Amino acid sequence: MLLPKFNFYEPKTQGEALSIMNEYGLKAKLIAGGTDLLANMKRKLLSPDALVGISEIEEFKNLEISDKTIKIGSCFTVSAIAESAVIEKKISALAVGARALGTPLIRNLATIGGNLGSARPAADIPPSLIAYNAKAVLKSVSGERTVLLDKFFKGPGFTEIQPNEILTEIIIDIPDGYYGAGYINLGIRKAQDCNIVNVASFVSLDEPNGVINSARIVMGCVGPTHLRANAAENILIGNKPSEKLFQEAAKIAESECKPIDDFRASAVYKKAMIRVLTKRTLDIAVKEASLK
Amino acid sequence: MSNYDVINSNAPRVDTPAKAKGKAIFIDDMSMPDMLFGALLQSPIAHGKILNIDISAAKKLKGVKAVVTAKEAGLIPYGVSPARYDENVFCHDNVRYIGDEIAAVAAVDLETAIAAASLIKVDYQELPALLTIDDAMAEGAPVLHKKYPRNICAQVNQEFGNFEAGLKESDIIKTTTFKSKRQDAAFLEPQGCIANFDKLTENLTLYSSTQVPHYVQRILSMVLKLPIGKVRVIKPYLGAGFGIKAGTNTMEIVSCLLSMKTGKPVKMNYSREQVFMFGRARHQFVHTMTTGVKKDGTLMALKNECYLDGGAYTSFGIATVYYSGSLLGGPYKLPNMKYDGYRIYTNKPACGAQRGHGGVIARACWEQQLDMIAEELGMDPIELRLKNMMVTGDITCNDFNMSSLGMKECIEAVKDGSEWNKKKGKLPKGKGIGMACGFFVSGAGYPIYRSDTYHSTAVIKLTEDGGTALLYTASSEIGQGSDTTMAMIAAETLGIPLSDIRIESGDTDFGVDLGAYSSRQTLMTGHAVYDAAAHVKQQILEVLAEELNISADEIDIKKGIIIFKKSQPDFSKLRERYIKEHRGWTDNPSADDPLTFKEASRIAFLAKGIISANGKYKPHQLGGKFKGAAVGTSPAYGCSAQIVELTVDEQTGQITIDNMIDAHDCGFAINRVSVEGQMEGSLSMGLGEAMFEEVKFDSKGKIINADLAEYKIPTALDMPPVKAIIVESSEPNGPFGAKEVGEGAIMPTIPAILNAVYDAAGVRIFELPLTPERVYQAILDYKNKKAS
Ligand SMILES: Cc1cc2nc3c(=O)[nH]c(=O)nc-3n(C[C@H](O)[C@H](O)[C@H](O)COP(=O)(O)OP(=O)(O)OC[C@H]3O[C@@H](n4cnc5c(N)ncnc54)[C@H](O)[C@@H]3O)c2cc1C
Repeated sequence: MLLPKFNFYEPKTQGEALSIMNEYGLKAKLIAGGTDLLANMKRKLLSPDALVGISEIEEFKNLEISDKTIKIGSCFTVSAIAESAVIEKKISALAVGARALGTPLIRNLATIGGNLGSARPAADIPPSLIAYNAKAVLKSVSGERTVLLDKFFKGPGFTEIQPNEILTEIIIDIPDGYYGAGYINLGIRKAQDCNIVNVASFVSLDEPNGVINSARIVMGCVGPTHLRANAAENILIGNKPSEKLFQEAAKIAESECKPIDDFRASAVYKKAMIRVLTKRTLDIAVKEASLK
Repeated sequence: MSNYDVINSNAPRVDTPAKAKGKAIFIDDMSMPDMLFGALLQSPIAHGKILNIDISAAKKLKGVKAVVTAKEAGLIPYGVSPARYDENVFCHDNVRYIGDEIAAVAAVDLETAIAAASLIKVDYQELPALLTIDDAMAEGAPVLHKKYPRNICAQVNQEFGNFEAGLKESDIIKTTTFKSKRQDAAFLEPQGCIANFDKLTENLTLYSSTQVPHYVQRILSMVLKLPIGKVRVIKPYLGAGFGIKAGTNTMEIVSCLLSMKTGKPVKMNYSREQVFMFGRARHQFVHTMTTGVKKDGTLMALKNECYLDGGAYTSFGIATVYYSGSLLGGPYKLPNMKYDGYRIYTNKPACGAQRGHGGVIARACWEQQLDMIAEELGMDPIELRLKNMMVTGDITCNDFNMSSLGMKECIEAVKDGSEWNKKKGKLPKGKGIGMACGFFVSGAGYPIYRSDTYHSTAVIKLTEDGGTALLYTASSEIGQGSDTTMAMIAAETLGIPLSDIRIESGDTDFGVDLGAYSSRQTLMTGHAVYDAAAHVKQQILEVLAEELNISADEIDIKKGIIIFKKSQPDFSKLRERYIKEHRGWTDNPSADDPLTFKEASRIAFLAKGIISANGKYKPHQLGGKFKGAAVGTSPAYGCSAQIVELTVDEQTGQITIDNMIDAHDCGFAINRVSVEGQMEGSLSMGLGEAMFEEVKFDSKGKIINADLAEYKIPTALDMPPVKAIIVESSEPNGPFGAKEVGEGAIMPTIPAILNAVYDAAGVRIFELPLTPERVYQAILDYKNKKAS
């Protein structure tokens, strides 16, 4: 499998990158780690006229941490996420997702921006980010806008990003008080696997061992984009965590997902696993919240 | 420890430095001046009639040097076994699977070659694609190969003893059906080759990533109509093969054809997708077995019926269909065995031989059934096996001679090593332990083509300074460590250090060796190397005896030093001569040093010229006389026992293998680390087949997971700690007592996992792989059944 021919640009600054994208639009593709894009190009699913390499632009590789927010540059690598002590401490479910992605070699190249940009329903990074209510910053020559990640994905391979835009960073507002999140992905083998289903759950409590005051459950691989289990979230809010409550929520989540049969697994199995993983991720989330 | 100086140790492999430094040359690293690149046109449909092939546009493309079809290649049929030569270089009448080769192009670069191949226009009349055994055997289904009605490529019906009579004497009768999935061996290096035909001399050299230079040489000679003396096949370093590279692939012939047309070297490579499309790995098997045992556990009778989904051509399949019956003859005493095997042609890539050829799924089916029987008898599974176990000297009902068999020792080693008695039936819910046994041939007793040929030859030649022994063998180092093994055997036999051996292998100019398949090289090439080394040594001893006027029997060589068994003669004259020839050299021996091999072999050279010897080996008359007796017959059999511990997540069906312990009787370990490496590799391959691996097709016959992302072999994280225990039973037919380890070690892996799953979760699963969904479903069905 050979790559199709293309022109390659490697801008040094954000401004340069934005103006190239403005000029080329649909005819160019941004390339960060290339772990998704190049595979698709070799399969001849894509053959853009130009590739614009952004992984050397310093502004895109920053990790900015304050008391209130964490800002992750779009070219921050998945292995850097997996190894960051602050991410592990403040938004552990993201680190879990990062560690589950691919192999060490892939993680060293793969970026958070590329993972969101590729918009695969089975991806390991989005569920946790959505569970933490993260936002994406999109820039173009004419300005910038911020999009909630929950509203960012439009379908397999499609996102809010316009042809002249670049995803520059991800912003996570650190929740107040007693919060926690869990992420579990289920596949055939223990690594380098395309997930059969994955779930991230977030909860915050009004006090340790208190009632749940916010909850987000994000389900992967069971729809064209990640799905929220809204009804399951609703029954959690205002209640104290309990085995029974979580089992109930898990059962509702199962009814909210819309998987299809494919060569990886049947829809019936995926549904059943959404229930198991929802319950298990809620357990992790509450345990973490109580320890805060 | 042993009395040996070189063998039976943990020797660093002779190819490690080159591989560790990235200096080992594989086909993909090679290039030649003026080299062209070849590309294939392969069928996009699974079954159809070729109406017309138009190559005009391809020929016109700039940079294209040759376009060939069946017209140029001719129609000489070939394959693996002459009993089933059912392939042509290119399709001329029908295409039979997605990937069947129709034409090829040579061009100045790969891009141009691929572009030109895509310009070849083929008109097809589509035929129904027969994608399953049922499709292919259905009344009125089209026939893939005219000679084989109902698409039965090969059929075996055998009975040893009397199955029905054995059943009548049985107290318990158990029947189960077991289904596996088509495999891909997923070796790291896709097949590739470079052909170089010299138009002036008409010599053809093919560099190829093959396990069998000798067989490839013969096929090239036959199909291209060249004298065998004009055809040379060289195997560079190989990124493994596992059996798939043990036949001739299309590129090997096509690159030669293109080189003959253009007079230039032509390189071809499969992409990973083409590796899958070419196939030739493990078949899909469906076994139905009925076993009868007495109340005391004595095995009385086995009936084994097997259907193999063969794909479009035979490849190794005729051997496979025999092996899937014959390899149940041992390692248990079984007086009555009936086998009915059917290999069916389908419109998919051909299947062939893969590690544990033909026996792996038969073993999985039966060893699970034996555990079910043990449970019904209220017997420990190990006890049942020990009760029926063969011992050294036993002969199976199908005439395999277990000239050494450390099966009992293997079982005891894994039993103790795993603390079986403490764990079996006593582990917490969700955790399980399981065991199984198996055995395998140590080299096919007969070549693939009928012949009286030697199976292996070797040449050893000393350098004129006597310092180094050069070992030439046509055997194939494919990553398994055979070069190191052969060098060790040569060093031990000659009595010199391993570092004084230089080995060259994998080249048909070095002699005849049938190659790396059926776990044959350690025993067979090992014999030839031993034979050559012993003759070289004898020549040196004889020269020394004459010079020193003593008997050759009184002299020996050890660690590069001449040993005088009785009294030491005065060898000062010899030494003087040696030193005189090396005036000014700084490493000459001093007066009271012992006489060295180096000095002795220099003296021998002065007496006789280059000291060299040929070694050779072929098995003695083996096995039974019945039809098919050749398949499974071997000079020796390796065997192993395994115990697996695992955890089943009952809510998700996910299995985690926690521990594996394997004891393998390899007769005698030439290189202990290589033996352990083969055991670990076998376990990993067995684990993959048990848990994850399956080549999947869409409804049109196209493979949908032809890559290593979706075809899932075990990762490092899936592999548990492995305890590998070497058992040595000293095989009388093996060099230094050695026999196989390369394939036998995979035999027990799958059933040991199946038996452990039952121990953990209470479910018997009769279909592979054990994906989370399949296990989950089995647990669900079991719970529902229990509830109702
Ligand atoms: C062997 C293998 C295993 C894998 N395993 C996993 C896995 O387990 N889990 C998983 O989630 N993924 C996996 N992937 C997919 C892939 O590695 C990840 O999605 C990765 O995060 C992509 O990042 P990248 O930087 O390589 O993206 P690229 O390939 O560089 O880009 C991907 C897409 O995003 C666009 N893009 C990239 N950066 C930006 C930006 N800043 N702004 C706008 N658009 C942008 C690109 O134009 C392209 O369309 C695997 C891939 C391989 C090859």
